Amino acid sequence: MTLFYGVLFLGVSMLSLYGTRKAIENYAEQSIRREMAVGSALFDRIAAMQVGQMAQAGNVLASDFGFREAVGTSDAPTITSALKSLKGRFDLQHALFVSIDGTVVGHVPGLSAMEKNQLFDALDMGQERGIARWGEQSYMVAASPVRAPVLTGWVIFARTMGPADLRQIARLSSIDLHPRILPQAGSNIGTGAVREMARNGERILMQARAVPTLIESAPQILVLEYSLTRALRDYAPILWALLGFGALGAVLAITGAFIASRRLARPIVALEAAGRKVSAGQHAQVAVQTRDEIGRLARSFNRMVNAVEERERQIAHMAFHDPLTGLPNRTLLREQIALTLSRHGNANFALFCLDLDNFKSVNDTLGHPTGDALLCEVAARLSETCPQGLVARLGGDEFAIIMPDGNADQIGRALVKALAQPFDVNGHRIVTGTSIGIVFAPQDGRDATELLKNADLALHRAKDDGKGSHRFFESAMDAEAQARRAMEIDLHDALRKGELELYFQPLFGLSQNRVTAFEALLRWNHPERGMVSPVQFIPLAEETGLIVPIGEWALHEACRIAATWADDIRIAVNISPVQFRSATLNSIVLQALARSGLAPQRLELEITESLFIDNVEATLGSLHSLRALGVRIALDDFGTGYSSLSYLRSFPFDKLKIDRSFIVDLLAHDGATAIIRAITTLADALGIETTAEGVESSEQLEILRAEGCNQIQGYFFSRPIPAGQVAALLEKLSGDRMAA
Amino acid sequence: MLLSCAATPVLAGDLNLKLVDAAGRPVSDAVVSVRPAGGIPTGPIRFPWPTTMIQQNVAFVPHVLVVPVGATVRFPNKDKVRHHVYSFSRPAKFEIKLFGQDETRSYTFKTAGAVALGCNIHDQMTGFIKVVDTPFATKSDTAGAARIAGMATGTAKVTIWHPLLRTKDNELVLNIPIPGSGAASKTVPLTLRSAR
Repeated sequence: MTLFYGVLFLGVSMLSLYGTRKAIENYAEQSIRREMAVGSALFDRIAAMQVGQMAQAGNVLASDFGFREAVGTSDAPTITSALKSLKGRFDLQHALFVSIDGTVVGHVPGLSAMEKNQLFDALDMGQERGIARWGEQSYMVAASPVRAPVLTGWVIFARTMGPADLRQIARLSSIDLHPRILPQAGSNIGTGAVREMARNGERILMQARAVPTLIESAPQILVLEYSLTRALRDYAPILWALLGFGALGAVLAITGAFIASRRLARPIVALEAAGRKVSAGQHAQVAVQTRDEIGRLARSFNRMVNAVEERERQIAHMAFHDPLTGLPNRTLLREQIALTLSRHGNANFALFCLDLDNFKSVNDTLGHPTGDALLCEVAARLSETCPQGLVARLGGDEFAIIMPDGNADQIGRALVKALAQPFDVNGHRIVTGTSIGIVFAPQDGRDATELLKNADLALHRAKDDGKGSHRFFESAMDAEAQARRAMEIDLHDALRKGELELYFQPLFGLSQNRVTAFEALLRWNHPERGMVSPVQFIPLAEETGLIVPIGEWALHEACRIAATWADDIRIAVNISPVQFRSATLNSIVLQALARSGLAPQRLELEITESLFIDNVEATLGSLHSLRALGVRIALDDFGTGYSSLSYLRSFPFDKLKIDRSFIVDLLAHDGATAIIRAITTLADALGIETTAEGVESSEQLEILRAEGCNQIQGYFFSRPIPAGQVAALLEKLSGDRMAA
Repeated sequence: MLLSCAATPVLAGDLNLKLVDAAGRPVSDAVVSVRPAGGIPTGPIRFPWPTTMIQQNVAFVPHVLVVPVGATVRFPNKDKVRHHVYSFSRPAKFEIKLFGQDETRSYTFKTAGAVALGCNIHDQMTGFIKVVDTPFATKSDTAGAARIAGMATGTAKVTIWHPLLRTKDNELVLNIPIPGSGAASKTVPLTLRSAR
């Protein structure tokens, strides 16, 4: 930049110098031209004046009577003396008298005979004034005609126009134009405009001009010249001064540009370097030194860098942290696991996966704000319990903790205990619990994915084994999980391939003394595994959600088959909690009834008590709407699990199915009979039928009959049988009865 | 004019000249005098015009007057101003000093030649008296014509004079054959100085 400005200034200086020189040259030339015009005019004026003076003198003489008389009488001595007298009086150089017959009286040095003839001819032609060249000398000549009374001759006065005389004239103009008078013939100088010519290395401006000539055949020119070189020499100091100033200016400009560029460029370079660092992800700040625009730019840049970094920190935090609890999220946890695994090689640590028990019901009953607040409290309590661990929230009510290996069992217990303590959230006292799955790295998994998966398996096992406990991962869990996975895949295809089948187990009405209903039971005839137990695949179907399409199929199939039976035989179908909660259950039931033509009161839907654990209100709503379809509702496995009697009051079940465990106990414990009695009495009082499940012996049958149980179901009568054997069974039982 | 020639030989011819300048314009006041082949008859010469040179309106009238040798020319002044007539011409050098209105002076011209008249008071006044020694003389009219009759046959020496004629003594001499009867006609171009 410095160089650029320096060269630029130098160029401008050179241009201006050149322009000035040109202008001076022009000016000088113009001045000289002007002076030449002036000098030329001056010459004319002076010549005219001097000629006029001479002519005046001549006229005086020519009109003198005595002189005329002398001329008229050709009195040469008198003429000569008169001329001489007048020369003295008027201070004239030369005087002549030319008579009309060509005689010349008087003397001019160098005037040849031929020139005399020329003079006469000119006079005879009427020429009276002008320059003439006689010999080697120029003369200014004025002729005055003498009339006596006719033209008898001319009085001629002449004045030399030599270099000395011309120089005197030249002195009147401001510059010496070296005026010369030359005969045009042989001078080789053209008249007209000012011309430039070179002579002795000088530039000469020259102008030649014709002057009034007495002898037309010998024209004379006035030559003026002036050395332009000499004129310019006078201006040389100005040009040198300009050159000096230009050089000084160039030095100043270069220095100034250098300083300015340092001031300007250095912060820009610094900004550029900082910008590069920032784009490379590094922190960079520019030192602000000035208050000008550059300084403001640097300040803005610094602010921008800080703002960008702050935002990056926020974004990074958002990317790696859970916004609700502020804990690291799953991504950060996985990274941390990967980092720890890679950094420590075979370093040992334990990964805890936690899940709150019954968190969903907290959200459902107390609202999401309370649920979120509970999660925050849980997060705080986990961090308190494991100050040296990394606590992360995986999502929902799932948390994970990385802890150094050792005392995992103790920590698991401490965590369960810590979360079992009631929480005070938004004025609610909430009791929850946690289940924990624990894995050890590196033996339980090579990477974060595997570790988390296995910890999850252990967590589920803990949940399955009863909530509020912790479980360590075992490799068997993984094998089991894989088997379940395989089964899940097979189950997915089972329905489509027709591998599922309904079996029917009769319910025997003790008062009617006949089969009053069949319970439809799912069987899976696996092409490789053979008959798969419902105990094995139903939970799987429930977990995967496959229970919904399977349940739908079962409803349709059961209704279709039941419609072929006698009108006094009902069909009981199990409805899984998952299926029950699906919004489509009502319409599926309606479709099954409509398609099969089965009377609604012949369809009995069996639900379990677990439905009342989660959301009593919703469950009751669904039950009422099912009841509105006209179907019967039975409560399955009554007496196990939750066993709250309050819901018996809130919904008028059509039937209670007493769990088989009570029936098995009938023969072993005395108290069992009392329970059966209590149930039947209660049901009777509420107008609810009772069915005993798992009846296998006549002793059991007799007790149940004695205790007022309405129906019996179990191997004592029949195992579940395929649909095709139903008719035969009914016939056989009817035959037995007849026989009995 | 021919009266004086009555006794000469019977054969006689005329001369008709037309005088023009270089541009072909007629030249007046040119004096033509002829010396015929047979010479000039003796006896006094008389011209039909008066031998009077009047000063009128500050000018000589006529401008050119032809008189024979020996004639006495009168110079009456008809102007209110006075005149001072002079001549430096060689044939008749004279001065008639300051004479007033209605004064008449005279001068006798004894030598043939051209006499230029001036006035010392009025430089612009010029007049000419051509003194001739032949009866065969006249001056051209405004049409430039000059006629002379009754001259002997043969080559005549014709002299043409004009004050502005660019020749020595302002004269041009021609030899023109005069026929026995009839007229020799000739147009003569003259080179004149410009009038100054």
